[in-house]
Amino acid sequence: MFAKLKKKIAEETAVAQRPGGATRIPRSVSKESVASMGADSGDDFASDGSSSREDLSSQLLRRNEQIRKLEARLSDYAEQVRNLQKIKEKLEIALEKHQDSSMRKFQEQNETFQANRAKMAEGLALALARKDQEWSEKMDQLEKDKRFLTAQLQEMKNQSLNLFQRRDEMDELEGFQQQELSKVKHMLLKKEESLGKMEQELEARTRELSRTQEELMISNQMSADLSQKIEELQRNYSTLEEQRDHVTASKTGAENKITALEQKEEELQAFIQQLSIDLQKATAETQEKEKLITHLQEKVASLEKRLEQNLSGEEHVQELLKEKTLAEQNLEDTRQQLLAARSSQANAIDSLETRVKELEQSLQASEEKLKQSSDVVTAQEAQIQELASANKESSCAQQQVLALEQQCTEQIHTLEAQLSALERARAADHAAAERKVRELEQENAGLKESKNECEHSLQHHQLELKKLKEEWSQREIVSVAMAQALEEVRKQREEFQQQAANLIAIEGEKEQSLQEKTEVILQKEQEILQLKKGHDSALLQMRQLQSELEALRGLRAEESEAAAAREDLLRLRGQEQGAVLSVSEPHVTSRAGQDPTYQLPAAEGIPNGEMGTAMDLGQLQKEKQDLEQQLLEKNKTIKQMQQRMLELKKTLQKELKIRPDNELFEVREKPGPEMPNMAPSVTNNADLTDAREINFEYLKHVVLKFMSCRESEAFHLIKAVSVLLNFSQEEENMLKETLEYKMSWFGSKPAPKGSIRPSISNPRIPWS
Amino acid sequence: MGGFFSSIFSSLFGTREMRILILGLDGAGKTTILYRLQVGEVVTTIPTIGFNVETVTYKNLKFQVWDLGGQTSIRPYWRCYYSNTDAVIYVVDSCDRDRIGISKSELVAMLEEEELRKAILVVFANKQDMEQAMTPSEMANSLGLPALKDRKWQIFKTSATKGTGLDEAMEWLVETLKSRQ
Repeated sequence: MFAKLKKKIAEETAVAQRPGGATRIPRSVSKESVASMGADSGDDFASDGSSSREDLSSQLLRRNEQIRKLEARLSDYAEQVRNLQKIKEKLEIALEKHQDSSMRKFQEQNETFQANRAKMAEGLALALARKDQEWSEKMDQLEKDKRFLTAQLQEMKNQSLNLFQRRDEMDELEGFQQQELSKVKHMLLKKEESLGKMEQELEARTRELSRTQEELMISNQMSADLSQKIEELQRNYSTLEEQRDHVTASKTGAENKITALEQKEEELQAFIQQLSIDLQKATAETQEKEKLITHLQEKVASLEKRLEQNLSGEEHVQELLKEKTLAEQNLEDTRQQLLAARSSQANAIDSLETRVKELEQSLQASEEKLKQSSDVVTAQEAQIQELASANKESSCAQQQVLALEQQCTEQIHTLEAQLSALERARAADHAAAERKVRELEQENAGLKESKNECEHSLQHHQLELKKLKEEWSQREIVSVAMAQALEEVRKQREEFQQQAANLIAIEGEKEQSLQEKTEVILQKEQEILQLKKGHDSALLQMRQLQSELEALRGLRAEESEAAAAREDLLRLRGQEQGAVLSVSEPHVTSRAGQDPTYQLPAAEGIPNGEMGTAMDLGQLQKEKQDLEQQLLEKNKTIKQMQQRMLELKKTLQKELKIRPDNELFEVREKPGPEMPNMAPSVTNNADLTDAREINFEYLKHVVLKFMSCRESEAFHLIKAVSVLLNFSQEEENMLKETLEYKMSWFGSKPAPKGSIRPSISNPRIPWS
Repeated sequence: MGGFFSSIFSSLFGTREMRILILGLDGAGKTTILYRLQVGEVVTTIPTIGFNVETVTYKNLKFQVWDLGGQTSIRPYWRCYYSNTDAVIYVVDSCDRDRIGISKSELVAMLEEEELRKAILVVFANKQDMEQAMTPSEMANSLGLPALKDRKWQIFKTSATKGTGLDEAMEWLVETLKSRQ
């Protein structure tokens, strides 16, 4: 726009300069009009012009008046225009000069600027490319490192996990070992205790044994004494036996004698018996004869009687007397015989009696002898009995001794057996204990070995840990180095950023300057536009005026007076415009001279330069934007990497601390799904009837237990009961106090408070 | 007054019963463990709706052991029993991989209770006689035990039906309780 305008202006000036004064007037008129338009308030005219075009009829009247005025002014204007043209020419010359110089300056500056900019762009592009390459290399390296590190980290994690697992296992093993050790120790202690007990028992047994041995010695001594006694007794016994033999021999002799005497006695007795039998016979015969005599006497008596009675039968009586005399003769014979027998008998008896007396005497003697001998025998028998008793006693004693000895031997045997058993038991215990000890030692050794192994493994693990730590430290170092590198990169980045910022600032400044320049250009364009508008409007007006003028020229002759007046007016205006121009020109020049940058927009007025710079600027801006985008992306990636690094560090630190602290809190943060159920109100549950049933059963069970269990247990149930039955705090406290009173030995029964009675009338607990 | 004297007496004679809670999800084997500890036998149990309380004597220490039912609807009542608890035996079914998360959340909720701040925690990885049982370390990790702070805890692999592991666990518990006094 400006360029075209300026071109036009330049062409116009060129055209104006070349043909000379012939075409000066229209140009000057145009210039004048431009000037006038610039001087006048162009807006009015412009608006008037535009409105006049729309409704000419309404404005015609006004126009006519204006034309009149204008015509009056025109003459003035013409003169003014001439004057102004002169001034304008001067001004144009000055302006051209100025323009030339400024153009030159503009071009020079533009060239230098372009060169500088190209240089800077090249330098920047090169630097950026280099930096980009470096950065991409670094990024690649960093990514590689990162990958390497992540791999290492993964390995480390795995290793640390393994380690922790191993450590857990180790801990577990150690726990088991310790438990085993404690068990083993416990068993050892028990065994030692049992050993001590056994030893005590053994000592007691040995003491018993010594005692029994002493007893045995005593009994042995006793047995020796007894055996001596036995020997003595046996000696006595032998002597006694000898005596007894003598005695028995004498006894047998005496007995023989006795038997002989007894035989004799028997013979004598038999003789006596015979004699007595004879005597008895004789006595019996005598008795019979006496009986016969008595009988005969009776017969005699009877016969005498008969004789006395029967005198008639004397023959018979004689015979009878004869018979009687015969019988008396017989009787006398028998009496004689009897007397003879008696006498013989008496003789025999006498002899016999004498013999008996003799025999009796001899018997008495022999009996006396026998008595003596029997006394001796009895004495000897007593002695023998005594001896026998003594013998018996000795045998008893011997038996006792034997029994004692047997007992002793038995005891000894038993004791020995016990001893041997005890010793065996002891040996067995010892062996068992030793075996156990050995086992325990073996176990211990095994445990120690395992412990050693564990320790080895621990050491190994520790070594591994150390290695890992070293690796870790190395990696940390590497990471630190990386962090340092990162920091360096960051610094470099910051530097780059700073450079970029500087560049951006420079660019911003340049942009600002550009903007300022564009603003200036815009202002100028606006000015130019305004000027152009004014110019156009002025041209239009001029054309109108010219047409009007041409239309009016016919009438000019008539209106020459009016034109003269108008020319005066125009002149006045021209003066005013000149004053305005003279004011505005120094303003422009001062503006142009103020800053060389003001000349830049003017330089940009050249189309090629403008296009080039615009292209360059666009390219630069694009590059800048690309670089900024890349920078942003790299910043983002660096930030992401830093975040990752931080996360990895955190996780590593956590795992190094073994116990991550947050886990519990994470869990604790969950309030648990049962929390709403914590309030024991039944209505909260979805499955109402079932829950109520269970709760009722629960309540029943708790109340039953509360009533039946011990007070110490019931005390713990108060809370459950009061929660289940919705007791108030007071009621719960009352229950507690009552139970405490029941449990304690002292104290007074808590007075029933008013809180009990309301509970009866209280509808809070429905009983139905 | 009475409480004061009884406390003096109990401190004099040292016969205070240790209070232990057996907790865990339903079907973990709490009741079986309780009676295994008390009578040394495996008893047939039914799901506990309510609780069982028994006095168990172990190494001259008397324990009042409370076995609380672990069904979902009555788990909220656990907290009624927390006061004055010396130790918590938390029983976990080693084969129940599906519900170990629930078990963990219950455990965590329980351990957050102020009343159980000083209680010792013994975890029984029960049912170790089964083939598909998890290892104690695995269970400890899935229960989040290593993250516990300010808490004495130990995990034992047990089998209530076989009776293995209970003695070691009780031994540890007794030692820990003694050392704490």
